[in-house]
Amino acid sequence: MNSPAHTELVHSIENVVDALRMEGYVCDEHVGTAVYLAHHLNKPVLVEGPPGVGKTELAKTAAAMFKLPLIRLQCYEGLDEAKAIYEWKYGKQLLYTQVLKETLEDVLQGAKGLADSVRRLHEFGDIFFSEEFLEPRPLLKALREEAGCVLLIDEVDKSDQEFESLLLELLSDFQISIPEIGTVKARSVLPMVFLTSNNTREISDALKRRCLHLYIPFPDASLENRIVEARVPEVLPSLRSQLVTFIQALRDMDLKKVPAISETIDWARTLLILHADRLDADLVRDTLSVVLKFQEDIETVGAEVPSLVRRSLPDDA
Amino acid sequence: MEQTLISFISALRNADVRVSPAETLDAFAATNLIGYAERDTLKRALWLTLPKTPDEKERFDQCFDRFFDVEAIDSNTAADEAPSASASSDLGAMLQSGDDAALSLAMAEAGRETGVSSIQLFTQRGLFTRRIMERMGLGDLNAEIAALRDGSLADLELAQSLSAARDRLRGQVRDYVEREFLLHADHDGRRLREEVLRRVKLSNVDRRNFRHLKAIVLRMAKKLETLASRKRKVFRRGHLHVPSTLRSNMSYDGALFELEWKSKKINRPKVFAVCDVSGSVASYARFMLLFLYSLEAVVPRVRAFAFSSHLGEVTGWFEEHDLEEAITRTLKAFSGGSTDYGQAFEDLHDLCLDEVDHRSTVIILGDARNNYGDPRKTLLHTLYERAGRVIWLNPEPRSSWFAGDAEMRAYLPYCHQARVCNSLEHLERLMTDLVKLGR
Repeated sequence: MNSPAHTELVHSIENVVDALRMEGYVCDEHVGTAVYLAHHLNKPVLVEGPPGVGKTELAKTAAAMFKLPLIRLQCYEGLDEAKAIYEWKYGKQLLYTQVLKETLEDVLQGAKGLADSVRRLHEFGDIFFSEEFLEPRPLLKALREEAGCVLLIDEVDKSDQEFESLLLELLSDFQISIPEIGTVKARSVLPMVFLTSNNTREISDALKRRCLHLYIPFPDASLENRIVEARVPEVLPSLRSQLVTFIQALRDMDLKKVPAISETIDWARTLLILHADRLDADLVRDTLSVVLKFQEDIETVGAEVPSLVRRSLPDDA
Repeated sequence: MEQTLISFISALRNADVRVSPAETLDAFAATNLIGYAERDTLKRALWLTLPKTPDEKERFDQCFDRFFDVEAIDSNTAADEAPSASASSDLGAMLQSGDDAALSLAMAEAGRETGVSSIQLFTQRGLFTRRIMERMGLGDLNAEIAALRDGSLADLELAQSLSAARDRLRGQVRDYVEREFLLHADHDGRRLREEVLRRVKLSNVDRRNFRHLKAIVLRMAKKLETLASRKRKVFRRGHLHVPSTLRSNMSYDGALFELEWKSKKINRPKVFAVCDVSGSVASYARFMLLFLYSLEAVVPRVRAFAFSSHLGEVTGWFEEHDLEEAITRTLKAFSGGSTDYGQAFEDLHDLCLDEVDHRSTVIILGDARNNYGDPRKTLLHTLYERAGRVIWLNPEPRSSWFAGDAEMRAYLPYCHQARVCNSLEHLERLMTDLVKLGR
């Protein structure tokens, strides 16, 4: 990552924020600082926050910004090293033993006694457990990437505790130990690692200690405004601010699931398709299902819609 | 500046933000990169490296603002009046020049030398203020002022302005010491209180301290949970474990004779908690249930029963409501009534004897004071034979287990374990065993 093309990008925190914005990811300085530090200190970043605030998107955007491949590992319960780090190509290994059996005679020809045979076998060199038979999974793949990459370990809280421990070696030393082969170290360029968590379970201290910890909360109105502007530029400014004010008001209500940024963007797109130029109560009621994902929530909000719409209007209207 | 960062980190630790040495090193690396020039940037960099939960981030914010207090030392008058003569002592010259930065630096330096960050008691403020002032050169300044008083008009003017500046400085030093006190000392006696609360008998704890107790219980539970889940293994049945199959069949020439499975071994304990909630024991029941249900992740199958005159299951309440509410409801519904252990065991048999098996742990919490009723120990005997473990927790000291109407003598043979349990420490020990049992 330390190639000249990148140093320009991460020269200062402002540059990072700007570069992220160029890729369509609007964020505050906290996020910029995180990427900046992650790059310069070679530390993984653990991103936490409510669902839909753009945690995964940050990793994707960072990959686009550094023009590096993105390697993604989606975590789930029961994920183990065979799916995350490496697996042996069993079929080929079996074939290999068959081939070996046939060549055995040539190797052992003229050997005197058992000890001699065993010695010759040792000399022959065993490739049963060797790189040829290794099937790399995302984590190993990321380490072997020549030009570096962005590694996204998504929803790490969904995996089991043991899996977290598996990650520790990778996160602190950028290496992975494979018992049969040895230690695989990252190439000269270290991967940039992002981990995301929705906090369904507390991540262990050991893992947190190895990471920078970035908490992304719901954005405030002006930031959200800019985000919508970047993602759905076609929306009229007046509608945009009305929309954002409405969503911000929804977040203060007691809902089962409060709308996230992704919902705001979806809603903006929906309104764009409907050629709406301003919010009114009927329009909101019809499209509320884009923003709210539970019937209960829709009912709760439904009654409040007229007053919410009125409040979302700019003061001078 | 490094010293400052280290003392900031110790202040953070004091504010309950856990910072490991590794994180300290990270913070240093980050500040080396970013520099100390911009306060906000520095704050963001430390915000990323030091606190690791939203809760800690909030405390970090407060701590940072308090520690790196930007309030400049106000020193305008010294320069305004501009007496013609200039002071000769070091401190006097510094005061006269109105150099805030130098002044606060000197103050911090003197503070470090006097060890102000080790301040423990509020009453030590005066002492430290004086020591810092002396270290900064108060003696010389005083002597100078005294000498100037006897001199010319210009000297007198200088003396006045210097002594005014000295008084201002004293105020600032006092503020500084106070800030250090808030940052570094155990100012609300939290640690002491915690230490005491862990040991004290639960029935003696004031109602207003319940909040603290609850926090302690939750923290203990959390610790146990991480300890236990580290050991927990996750298995799935029916999956062929290819590597170990290949390995174990090596000796058969690669022909797969013996299959190895990803074995399944989940041994989650089933816990039946039977609590006496009559007056004297109620507060113990409260905290045991609180503890037990805080361990949900590692002890997932808890069934709770409460009794005084009769027994009923309260598991449902704990599933529907939050802990506090459930406990309140339990106590309301079952307490008051005179204790009848015989009846309670009979009800327990009717309710759930079928489900008690060798993997179950039955915890009975009570003082076994049966009001001279029939103890009906045979019922406990059946339970003892079916269950993996029967643990009796008695809040009373061992010496009074057999006195008066206590029936411990009748019940003791049918308990795998009977122990005194009347403080959080006891509870913690019990829970540790319980969690280990399940592994």
